[in-house]
Order: sequence, then structure tokens, then C-alpha cells
Amino acid sequence: MRQKRNDFNYRVGKVIVCAVVLFVLIGCVYTPYDPNGMNGALKNAAPSLAHPFGTDNFGRDVLSRVMKGAGTTFFVGLCTVAIGGIIGTLLGAVTGYYGGLFDEILMRLNDGLTSFPSILLALVFVSILGPGKYNIILALGIIFIPSFARVVRSEYITQKQMDYVKNAKLMGASDFRIMFVHILPNTRPILLSSLTIGFNNAVLAEAGMSYLSLGVQPPDASLGRMLSEAQAYLFSAPWVALAPGILIVLTVLGFSMVNEDAG
Amino acid sequence: MSERMYENIQENIRKNPGGRPEKNTGENRREGSDLLLAVRNLSVAFPGGKREATVVDTISFSLRTGEVLGIVGESGSGKSMTALALMGLLKKGAVRSADAILFDGKDLNRVSAEEYRDIRGRSMAMIFQEPMTSLNPVYTVGNQVEEMLKLHAHLSKEERKQKTIQAFEEAGIRDSAEVWGKYPHQLSGGQRQRVMIAMAMICEPKLLIADEPTTALDVTIQARILALIKKLNREHGTAVILISHDLGVIRNICDRTLVMYQGKIVERGSIEEIFSNPKENYTRTLLDAVPGIHKRDDAKAAGAYGTAAAEYRDILVSVRDLTVAYKGNKEGLFGRRRVTEAVSHIDFDIYKGEILGLVGESGCGKSTTAKAIAGLIDSYTGTITPDNRKPQMVFQDPYGSLNPCKTIGWILEEPLKMQGMKRAVDRVAKAKELLAEVGLPVEYAARYPRDLSGGQRQRVAIAAALITGPQLLILDEPVSALDVTVQAQILDLLQRIRRQHNLTYLFISHDMNVIYQICDRVCVMTQGTIVETAAPRELIANPKHEYTRQLLASVPE
Repeated sequence: MRQKRNDFNYRVGKVIVCAVVLFVLIGCVYTPYDPNGMNGALKNAAPSLAHPFGTDNFGRDVLSRVMKGAGTTFFVGLCTVAIGGIIGTLLGAVTGYYGGLFDEILMRLNDGLTSFPSILLALVFVSILGPGKYNIILALGIIFIPSFARVVRSEYITQKQMDYVKNAKLMGASDFRIMFVHILPNTRPILLSSLTIGFNNAVLAEAGMSYLSLGVQPPDASLGRMLSEAQAYLFSAPWVALAPGILIVLTVLGFSMVNEDAG
Repeated sequence: MSERMYENIQENIRKNPGGRPEKNTGENRREGSDLLLAVRNLSVAFPGGKREATVVDTISFSLRTGEVLGIVGESGSGKSMTALALMGLLKKGAVRSADAILFDGKDLNRVSAEEYRDIRGRSMAMIFQEPMTSLNPVYTVGNQVEEMLKLHAHLSKEERKQKTIQAFEEAGIRDSAEVWGKYPHQLSGGQRQRVMIAMAMICEPKLLIADEPTTALDVTIQARILALIKKLNREHGTAVILISHDLGVIRNICDRTLVMYQGKIVERGSIEEIFSNPKENYTRTLLDAVPGIHKRDDAKAAGAYGTAAAEYRDILVSVRDLTVAYKGNKEGLFGRRRVTEAVSHIDFDIYKGEILGLVGESGCGKSTTAKAIAGLIDSYTGTITPDNRKPQMVFQDPYGSLNPCKTIGWILEEPLKMQGMKRAVDRVAKAKELLAEVGLPVEYAARYPRDLSGGQRQRVAIAAALITGPQLLILDEPVSALDVTVQAQILDLLQRIRRQHNLTYLFISHDMNVIYQICDRVCVMTQGTIVETAAPRELIANPKHEYTRQLLASVPE
């Protein structure tokens, strides 16, 4: 049963998430100014009616760049979660359902992967693959696999002992069908919450990678990239950091609040 | 207890709030003096929310010192809620209201939280159904029982330990000094329930509330636990409220009983009155629904329900020298796995058309046998012929055996998909046909298992097992999780379906009464072997094996 306090979190979270998503979607088709268009006359201009969040050191409109950059960040986040989620779920399902030696080996590999800090690992991947949006997605995606695999695996271990699984075996369903048609829907609550948590982490990780200038390359905007560029002018033009910072906070907060109730 | 008596109590409360009721004059004097508990118009409700419900509806009853009162009813009848309300342990959101709950001279409506906590444990104790979850798994049982003394008595550490061990001994725990240092998972279900009783009794409470204390236990252990409760009641004069859905248990040890239905007390009276001359329809239904080795209607059994055992000649499944061993956990990294035989070298045949019962306590290997026959276990030795048998199973827990994420329609259609029925229209038609056959409205196809009651779910499970037209149906405790009235309906349904489809059942149960009612032949299992096979009537009249005799002796009448 949903409790009152959580219910409040859920509603507020939903409003925040919807607002952020709407903002990003609008950014895909319309921005007030060209996000990469420079204006030498308006370097580091303070927020005004014409530029609600000011301009950066090249005179680019911060609002437009955030709208466009959030899109990039979200894209990276979604792809990362998709890669990690799909592969992780597959691995988790197979290892949890079959168990045995195969499970042992994969899970020890998993442990190995988790024992490194994720940013460090991503750095290693990027240094091999080279920087760039798609490489970041690949690197983060691989790093996100273990957490999904672990969660899904433990759920499969519980579920495979249920009588409905025995029933499915008795009616002659194949292992594949039992895993993905019978059991998978039952992992939905836990899978959904790990997906939202994963998305949050992916957004943060992208921001972190881009901040270290390993992610999205200039002149394209991403939230992390913008923060990184704003750092140099933090005292003279703090508004440049403000908009991307607020958006990251809102995104993570919104998804966390929704997620608290999803499980 | 008479209406006038209650009025007297109320009068007393008005005169003397919170205190011991004044002695009444005349004939009520004796009754009043040894009155331990008087409940007047107790209600428990869950106000607000989507499902506003009154689960206990203005009930009144009383209990004398040293009396054993039974409360019987189906699940959801409010009997557990009554107990929790008395203990003041209702969940948040539940609201208790009562004109008066007089316990041992105090009105529980008026005591502070502090005083209530002192009353709980010291003068009122409770034991629950599930002894595994009601003990904390990370502390030794000795520590947990001692905690009661820490809270309610001033004793030194050594004295506490001595007293705890004493309490264990009294609760019938052998090697009590050794058990003191063990953790709950190291004890058997019966031992855990004894520990719970020791914990409840250690402060010598005036009232012990036992909520389904034996439901999770095997029948032979159940008999011993009930005897223990009765003994403690006699020796210490502890009043007992025994809550059970099992009329046999109630009959065995109670002096008086209340019958609850939908939050109300529908009938009350002494055990003899209720059992020999029930006044209310509901009580009669409840009594009629109880299967019993003393009740089987032989005419009905032979005529309507089937034929005598001798007529079954064709062997459907033959089990020879079946042994199933489980590998235990490794002891240490390089240690050897301990191998335990759950089933060892059993032989039996299932004849076409019969209902073969498999009876025994939990852990005797009956479910393992069933799984081996169903083909859910591959690693067995011995032979089960023929190989192409494709039995279906119905499991004990209808909550677990239906996929909670799928609609009833999907669950029923899935086996047909496996069989290669391509057209969705055909599958839907077949599913509807089966739903109607098990007595459910066809609209249920669109519902999810959580929308159905336990009995309805078990009907769906039966329909799902039948839909592929198997010859053999393995029923693994199919009615154990159900209320007694629902249980009777499901047993009827099983009988009807067997006749219509010429099915053979392997019926597994720990309940001798149910086995007796439905089976043509019974195999008695203990410790992985079949010790006796006979027709139920013969088995009861002339049990050959020692274990069978023990099992039959434990069945409450």
C-alpha cells in the first residue's frame, strides 16, 4: 500500500520529471537562439530579459545551450541505461535462472568490474576508444552492466523457486520462454527502480566525463561540458554554471523522488 | 455471560474508572470475582483509505480465570484482529473502540502506553502462528526468552538463565541447557513453537492468547503442543484464548467457544453445545465442511464419488526403487557435500482412475516424490514408467502458483500455446470453457490473480492444470491453505472433474481427514520411505505400522 509521505514525493517527482522532459523535448526542435551562435558584443552578459540565464564567454545564449545540451546528456543517459539494462538483464536472468559454474564465473567477473570506481573505468575505456559522444555511451553502458545484472539475478533466484515457474515447466515451456515471458514481468518493480537510478547515475557520469573534457566535444553542448567551461568564469559570470547545474539537480531529484515510490 | 452482567460491569466502570470492579451482590458475586477479562462492544475498523472496513464489529465476551476459550472462524472473520486489539498491538491505521475492555481489574481503554507495555508480557502473553518469523533469527533463543525477564523481573544474569532453562524444561524441550544457546534456524518447527510458549509463559501471565499456534505444524506435533498448552493451563491456572480455524483443535482443548463470521460473533457456547447442537446456520456449515475420519459418508463415497479400490487394475504410472538425494552445502572450501536422501527406495503403482493419497509429515519426502513423478527433478535413481507421462500439478499455495503479472486468461491460454494451438480465438474459447467448468464466471479471464480469493485462485490453478487434458493430476496439498468451507468446495470440484474427465489423482496431504475423505488408497510416508499402503478405511481400522498408529492417534476428533 502506498503511504502518504511517499505519495507526496511521487507526485512532486512526477511534476519535476515531466517539466524537465518537456524542456528537453522543446530544446530538440526549438531554441530561442542558435546554441552555438557566438555574439562578441555580449560576452559573459548577466541574465536579462533577452537572455534569461545570461551568455557565456563566447556570447552564446546559456538557455539555448542548456536546452540543446540537456538533450545530449539525456540521450547519453538513455543509451547508457539501455545498453547496461538490456545486457545486464540478460546476464542476470541467465545466471540467476541457471546458477552453477557459469553463474560463478560471470559473477566473479562482475565483482571484478564493480571493484573499480566507475569514473576510473570509464576513463580507461575512453582513453582506449578516444573521446566522443558515442564512445562515452559505450564506456558507460559497459560499466553499468554489473549493477543491473546483480539486481536482476537476485530477483530471478527468488522467482525461479515460485510454483508458477514449476507450472510453466510442467506445461512444457522452454527455458527461454520461462525466463523472459513468465519471470521477467515479475521483476518489473525492481527493474524499473534500477532503471531510474541508473539513468540518474548515467546523467551524472556523463556530466562528470564531459567536465573532464572526455565526453562531448566542443562546440556541442552538454550539461557537464557547460559546467566545465563555466568553471573558469565562476566568479565573474556565475550564471553560466547556474542553469546546467540546476537542470542536473532537478533531473536527479525528480527521478529519485519518482523512484522512491516505484518499488 | 448474561446481558445483565455486562450492565453491571459498565456500572462499575462508571463508578470506579480504571479500578477493580466492585463486588456484585447475589448470584453474580462468584462470577464477578474470578472474572479475568470482560470485553464490551469491541470494534476494530480501518477508517479512511480506499477500503474502509470494520473488521471486528461490536463484539462482547468474557473470560474467567483458568478458562480456555476458543475463537473459531474463517480467515478474514476478525479473530486475529480481536486478539491483537486485546494486546493493543493493532497496525497503524486500525482504530480500536470499545465500551470497556476490563482485564484483571484494569480498563485497557484507559491505561497509558507505559502501563499497557507492562501488562503485555507480565500478565498477558501471545504466541503466533509462524514460529520461524516470530523469533528473531540473529539472537539465540535463550537470549530472547531471557529478554522477557530483563523487562519484567529483577534477577541476576545467572538467575535469569536458570529460570529460562527451567521454562524450557516446562515447555517440554529436551536438552534445554543446550537449546538455550541455539539459534531459531537450528530448531525444528515444533521446538520453536515450544520456545515461543516458554517465552510467553516465563512471567506466568494470567492470560495467554494463542493465535493459530499449531497451524504451521505437523499433526503429531500439533497434538503435543496442544497437550502442553492444556497442561500449563491446568498447572498455572492461566486463562487461554485459543484462536483457530480448525474445529478439531478447538474441540480438543477448549471449554467454551465463540464462532466468528465477518467480524461478528454468530454463536457462543460450551464445546458440547456448539458441536452437538449448533444453532446458527453458519456454525452448521462450518461443522459440515470439516472432513473427518469419523464422518465419511460411505454411501456417497462409493456411489457418487467413484468405485471401490478393487476395480482399478490398469497401472498408469509405476514407480520402482525411486531414490532422490539432495546435495547439501559444502562444509568449508574443500569439504565434501553432505548428501541427504529425501526419498529412499520407494515402490508404488498408480492405477488408472484412482485417487492415491500420499500422507506424511513435512519433510517426509512426499513433495519430492511428486516432483520426481512430475518430471521436475532429473537427478533421481530408480525408474518411473512410462516416460511419456505428462502429469500436471496443482500446488498448495495458490498465491505462488499463478503468475502474478498475468491475467487469468493468459495463464489459461499459455499451456495451449505450448501445445501449438495457433488461433487465439480457439484458445480463448477453450479458456472460457475451462473457467466455466471450475465454476468461475468467464469475465474472470480479464482479471489478475490478486483480484481473486484463495479458493478462486485454486480453481484457476485446477483449470490451468486441466486445460491440456492430462491423464494424471498431482495435487500437492491443494486444500491446505484454504478455509474449511472453501476446502470442502474444492474437494467437491476435484471429485466432479475426475468423474467427467476420467482423471487419476495423486493426492498429497498431511491432513489425514482430507485424505480419508477423498482417497481410494493411501500410502503413508515417513522419513523418505513408504511404510504402509492400504484403503483408508482399512488403514484406520487396522493400522499395521507403528508410525501410522501414531499419525492416527494425533488426529483431533
